[in-house]
Amino acid sequence: MNVKEIPSYIVDLGRKYGATDIAAKLIESQKVMIRFSNNEVTISKIFHEATIEIFVMVEKHRAATSINTLSIKNIERNVKTLIRVAKMTTPADVYAPLPKGPFSYDPRLLKAPEVPLDPETLSSYVERAINSALESGAKRAAGTLSAFKSEISIATSGEVYASQEKAGLELSIRAFISDVATGHFLSIAGKPEDFNPEEAGRVAGEIARAADNPVPGEPGKYMTLLGPMVFADIVNQVGILSSAFLVDAGQSFLVDKIGEKISSEKFTLVDDPTLAGSIGARAFDDEGVPTRRNIIVENGVLKTYLHNSITAKKFGKETTGNAGIIVPTPWNLIVEPGGKSFEELSAQIDDGIYVTNDWYLRYQNYRTGDFSTLPRDGIFRIRRGEIVSSFRELRISDNMLRILQNIVDLGRSRVWIKWWEVEIPSLVPHALISEVNFTKPLI
Amino acid sequence: MSSLEDLAEFIVESAVGMGAEYAEARLHTDLRESIIFKNNVLEAFTFEESRGVGIRVLVDGSLGFASTNRLRKDDIKKALKQAFKAAKSTSKLVKHKISMGKGELGNEKVIVKPRVSFTSVDPEARTSLIKETDEEIISSASTFDVKVPARIMTLDTWITEKLVKTSDGASIYSVTPRIAFFALITLFHPQGGLLQRYINLGETGGWEACERWNLPRILHEETSALARVLIEAKKSPAGEMDVILGPEIVGIVSHESCGHPCEADRILGREAAQAGETFLKSDSIGLRVGSKYVNVADDPTIKGSFGFYLYDDEGVKARRRILIKEGVINEFLHNRETASIFGVMSNGASRAVAYNREPIIRMSNTFFLPGDYSKDELFEDVKEGIYVKSFMEWNIDDRRFNQRYVGLEAYKIENGEIKNPVRAPVLEMTTIGLWSAVDAASKDLEFQAAYCGKGDPMQGIPVWTGGPHIRLRKVRVGGMRE
Repeated sequence: MNVKEIPSYIVDLGRKYGATDIAAKLIESQKVMIRFSNNEVTISKIFHEATIEIFVMVEKHRAATSINTLSIKNIERNVKTLIRVAKMTTPADVYAPLPKGPFSYDPRLLKAPEVPLDPETLSSYVERAINSALESGAKRAAGTLSAFKSEISIATSGEVYASQEKAGLELSIRAFISDVATGHFLSIAGKPEDFNPEEAGRVAGEIARAADNPVPGEPGKYMTLLGPMVFADIVNQVGILSSAFLVDAGQSFLVDKIGEKISSEKFTLVDDPTLAGSIGARAFDDEGVPTRRNIIVENGVLKTYLHNSITAKKFGKETTGNAGIIVPTPWNLIVEPGGKSFEELSAQIDDGIYVTNDWYLRYQNYRTGDFSTLPRDGIFRIRRGEIVSSFRELRISDNMLRILQNIVDLGRSRVWIKWWEVEIPSLVPHALISEVNFTKPLI
Repeated sequence: MSSLEDLAEFIVESAVGMGAEYAEARLHTDLRESIIFKNNVLEAFTFEESRGVGIRVLVDGSLGFASTNRLRKDDIKKALKQAFKAAKSTSKLVKHKISMGKGELGNEKVIVKPRVSFTSVDPEARTSLIKETDEEIISSASTFDVKVPARIMTLDTWITEKLVKTSDGASIYSVTPRIAFFALITLFHPQGGLLQRYINLGETGGWEACERWNLPRILHEETSALARVLIEAKKSPAGEMDVILGPEIVGIVSHESCGHPCEADRILGREAAQAGETFLKSDSIGLRVGSKYVNVADDPTIKGSFGFYLYDDEGVKARRRILIKEGVINEFLHNRETASIFGVMSNGASRAVAYNREPIIRMSNTFFLPGDYSKDELFEDVKEGIYVKSFMEWNIDDRRFNQRYVGLEAYKIENGEIKNPVRAPVLEMTTIGLWSAVDAASKDLEFQAAYCGKGDPMQGIPVWTGGPHIRLRKVRVGGMRE
C-alpha cells in the first residue's frame, strides 16, 4: 500500500470495527536544523518522520492515538485497540459528528513552495547571518536555522480525503556585545524569496550594539514601546487562550468575554491561515474542515473563540476550522497594522521604555490575566522620543487585559515572528502601550 | 532485544567504517497512555507510540545528528548518511573541533519493574479515579462555600525503552516506566475572587505510585487550603522580614537558580539564543554564591524519582552531583563534549527526551540538601515574617540571576506561630541575594514533579525538584501588584 493511502484505509477499518466517526491524519516531514553559538556551528540535525494520528468516536465515547510504526499489522492492531478502548471509556457530555464533506479547498493552500533542505545551502545562510551580526558590531552570535517541508494527508468518515504541503525557513539569531548587552532578531518565511538571514543578523547586531553598557532600570509604570518579538508573545497569549477548550478549562483570561471590549479599539487580531505563502498557511484543519479567516478581536471587541466541532457543539456555535482534534488552536495570527512609523511611535514617549524581546511569561492566574515576563536583549530608556540609555534587570509584572486596554498605537510595518518563545506564527507591528508596570529584584 | 542490539551494532560499526571519530545509536521507544478530564467530562483517552532511532556522529570535529522512525536497514543506512552529511557540510563553520571526553562508560541493563503494571488498570478504572478526585475537589471547596468552576486533569503512564550504543564501547539497555498526574483548578468566591493552582505529581515506577498518592485525598487537602486562602487571606505584609520557604518553592529555586546555572553547555553559550546563558563562568568553581547553609545536589540515582536513570544517553554512569556545597559552586553538570572542554570526566547528565532529539545536558532530580533543624525550630525563631508554601507565577532571567516567585498558599508568622493566610506575597530577588539570606534548613525533604524545558527543538524532560523548609533572614517581600 502506498503510504498516502493509509488514512483512507484507516477510516475504512474504523467503520468496519464499529466507530461512529473516525479521522486519520498522516504527517510526513523532513526538517534540517543547524544550531550555532560563539559564531560557530555546534550541531547539524536532519529529521525524517512519518506519523499517523487517529481519532475515533463511538457516539459520545472518544479515544485518540498517535503511532509511527506504519506497518499494516500495527495500524490494524491500533485501530482495533482504539475502538475497544473508546467503547470502554466514560461517555463525554456531547456528541458532535465529524463535519460532513467532501469540501473544496483553496488550491493555493494545498501546495507549498520549494525550500532548500540541503545542509550546504543552509550552512551558507548561517554564515551570512553571523557575518551580518558581526559587521553590525556584535562580538559573537548564537542561534538556530531550520528548514522544513511536510505533507499532511487526511481522511475522515465525513468523506474528507485531502492532502496539503507545508514548508518554511526560520532563522533565530542572538547577537552579543557583552554578556549583558544583546540583541535578538528573526527571519521567518514561508517561501525562500521572503527569507533574509543578513537582515536578521544585522538587526540583532544593531540592537546589541545599542544595548551596550546597560544600567539597572528603575521600577515603575512607563509608557512602553513593545518590539514585534514582545508583542507577538502577547498576541500569542490572546490567540492561544481564545481556544474554546482552554476557555472551558478556565485557562484563559477571555472566559465570558465574548462581545466585550477586551482591548483598545486600535487592536484587531485575525487568525488567517488563508494567507498563501505564509508560514502558518493551511487549507484544512484536523477534522478536514476548510480553514478560514477568523476575526478574534475586532477594534477591541472579542468576537469569537476558536472551535473544533466538539467545542462548537458545546458552546452552541459553528466550527471555526481550528481543530486540533482535542484542543482548537490558532494557525497564523495577524495583527492589523496601525498608521505610525517607528519614529512616530517613539516620538509619543516623553519618558518611557522600549523593550525588544522577552521570555518566560508565566501567569499568577490565567482567569484574571495577572502575569509577569522578563524583558531580555535590548531594553532602552526613551526620553523625549529618543533612546538615551540601555536598561537591565527589569521585569514586566502586569495584567494581560490591562495591557491590551492600554494599547495607544500600533506601527504600520509588520514582521513575522516565530521562535523558541513564540509558538504560533504571528505577523505583528510595534505596539505602544501606556502604564506598563515594571518591577525589579529587591535584593 | 537482540534485533535492537544488531541494529545498534550495525549503525555504530558502519559509522566507524565511514570514518566517524565517534558514533552513537539510540533506539528509543515511548509508549504512552493518557486521560484528559475536564469539568467532570472525560475529553479523551489517548495512547501514543513514538519509536525510532537517533544517530549522532562526530566527523572532523563536527557533530551531526539524524533521526528516523523507519527502522528497515535501508532507512537506517540513509539516516546514517544524513548524519554524516549534516556533520560534514557544516564542518567549515566549526572552528574549535568537538571531541568526546571521558566518562565511566557502562555495559548494563537497567530495567525498572513496576509492582503494579499499567496494563492491569484499564481506562475505566483510571477514569473512575479521576472522577472521584474531581468530586473531592468540588466537595472540599463547598464546605467553604467556594466554587470550582474549572478543573482540568491529566493522568499519563508511559514506558520508555532505550538501547544506547557508542563506538567506544558503551551499551546500555533500559526500560523505565513513569506515571504523572497534572491538575489546574480554578477556585471562585464572590468576595475572595479567583485563585488558580497547578499540581504536578510524577514518579518512576508502576501504578503503585498512583495508589500511594491517593489523588482524592491530595486534591481534597489542596482545595481546602486554597479555599481558606481565598476567603481568609489578608493583604501580604511588605518590607524586610524573615521568610520560610516550603519544599515546593525550595525545589523550584534549586532547579532554576542552581541547576540551570550549573549546566556546562549554558556556560559555553550553547543555549544562548533559546533558554539563555548563566551568570556562572567556566572558572566559577569555588565561587561563593550563598551562605554556608546552602547545599544543592542533582541526583538521578534516586529510586522512584521522576528524573531517575543510572546511565545517561551517552552511556556514562550517573551519580549524585553536589552543585553548591556550603554556599560555594562545587561542580557543573556535564556531558562528554563539555567534559572534554573543561578537562574533567563527564558526570552523566546527557539525556534525550525522544528518539528524534539529540542528548543534551539536563538536570535530573535537583534539590536542596536537608539541614539540622526540625521544621518547628525554623519557625520558633521567627518573630515576624511569612511562610510561603506554594506558588503559581514564577520566572527567572536568561542569565539565571533575577527571579520572581509569587506565593499562592502563604501565611503570616508571628512569634514563631503560623497565623492567617496572606495573599500573593512577592519574592523578587537575585540568585546570590536569595542564597546568601539562607540561615537554616530543616531535616525534612519533599519532592515535586516537573518537566524541564530546554533545547531546540524543545525537549521537555521529567525531573524532580525538592528540598526541605529553609529560612531566609531579612529579605524584602513585596505585596500584590497594584
